[in-house]
Amino acid sequence: MSDLSPAAREVILAFADDEHLMGQQHTEWIGVAPFLEEDLAFASIGQDELGHAALLFEVLVGGDDAAIDAIAFFRDADEWRSCALVECTLEDWGDTLVRHWLYDSAEELRWQLFAGSSVQALADIAVRAESEERFHRRHGDALLDALLTVDDAAGRLQTALGRLLPMALAMFDGAAGEADAVSEGVISGPFASCADAWKQRVDDRFGAQDWASIDADPSAGRTTRHADFAPMLDRIREVLDLDRSAVW
Amino acid sequence: MTIYEVFLKKDGRDEFRHAGALEAADDELAVIAARECYVRRGEGDRVWVVARDSIVTEDPAFFAPNADKPHRHHSGEAVAARRKEIREQLKIAEETA
Repeated sequence: MSDLSPAAREVILAFADDEHLMGQQHTEWIGVAPFLEEDLAFASIGQDELGHAALLFEVLVGGDDAAIDAIAFFRDADEWRSCALVECTLEDWGDTLVRHWLYDSAEELRWQLFAGSSVQALADIAVRAESEERFHRRHGDALLDALLTVDDAAGRLQTALGRLLPMALAMFDGAAGEADAVSEGVISGPFASCADAWKQRVDDRFGAQDWASIDADPSAGRTTRHADFAPMLDRIREVLDLDRSAVW
Repeated sequence: MTIYEVFLKKDGRDEFRHAGALEAADDELAVIAARECYVRRGEGDRVWVVARDSIVTEDPAFFAPNADKPHRHHSGEAVAARRKEIREQLKIAEETA
C-alpha cells in the first residue's frame, strides 16, 4: 500500500521480519525435532508464522509474488528490522521451546495492538493470526506443563530462560517512528507497552523473575543484526541464489 | 510416552474411521499432535484420540469363529430362491385354473 506513512511501514516491517525469521527458525527443526509428532507440529507452527509474515509483507508491497520475494529475501542486512531473539540459531531443543513460548506469548499482545488498526488489512490479519496463535500457545504450554514437572527438564528449561531473557526483553525495542504510528492509529500503543503484561506471564509460567536485575541486551534490538543472521539468510536464499527464477 | 490411536470424521453422518497412531506424553499433547499430524488438510473436525491401552480387545483366537457354521452366513440367496420358486408355482396354478 502506497498510502502508508514511513512510520507505519517501519512498524509493520518489524513485525513481518520477526514473524518471517521466527517461522524460519522453527522450520529448521524439520527432521531433527525430538520426536516425529513434535517435528510435524513445530514445522506446522513455523509455517503459520511464515504465513503471517507473508500477509504483513503483502500490506507493504502488494500481492505480487516477485515484490514479496524482493522484500522478504533480497534486502541488505541493515534494512531488516528483526530482533536478535528471532535471528539467533539455537542448537538446543530446550532453548528453542522456551523461545517459542516467550515469542508467542508476546506475539499475542502484539497482535492486540493491531486489532483496532486504522489500516483495515492489519486488523483483519490480527484476527486471522490469533485464530492460529491460540493453538501455538496451547502447544507451548502443553509441552512446558509436561516438562517443567520433570527435574532434569525443568532445570534445563530454567537455564534456557535465564539465557534468553535479556534477548527477549530487547524484542520490545520499538521500530523507528513507532510513536507516529501510534498517533496515526496504525497500532494502539508501542510494543514496549506490552512488556509488563508479558513479564507477568513469564512469572506465572516459570516462577517470579528478578526483573530489576535483568536488562535488555543492548545489542539485541532492531537496528543491528545478530552474528547468526547472515548464515541464516544464506540458507533461506540457497535455492534462489542458484536460480532466481526457479519454479517449485 | 503413551501410544494413542486417532479416529476422525467430518461433521455429518459418516462414521469415524481410523486415521493412524501417535505417541505423546499426555492427553493434552496427544490432541495437539493429532491436530498437527492428521487434520492439517481438513480431513475432519470430529476427532477421537484414544490411548491404545484404553481399547478393550482380546486375542484373535478369541474372536475367530469355527469355520463349520454355514447357517450363520445368511447371504439371503436361499430365501430368495425359495420365494422365486413359490411365485412361479402360484403363476402356474393361476394359468391352469
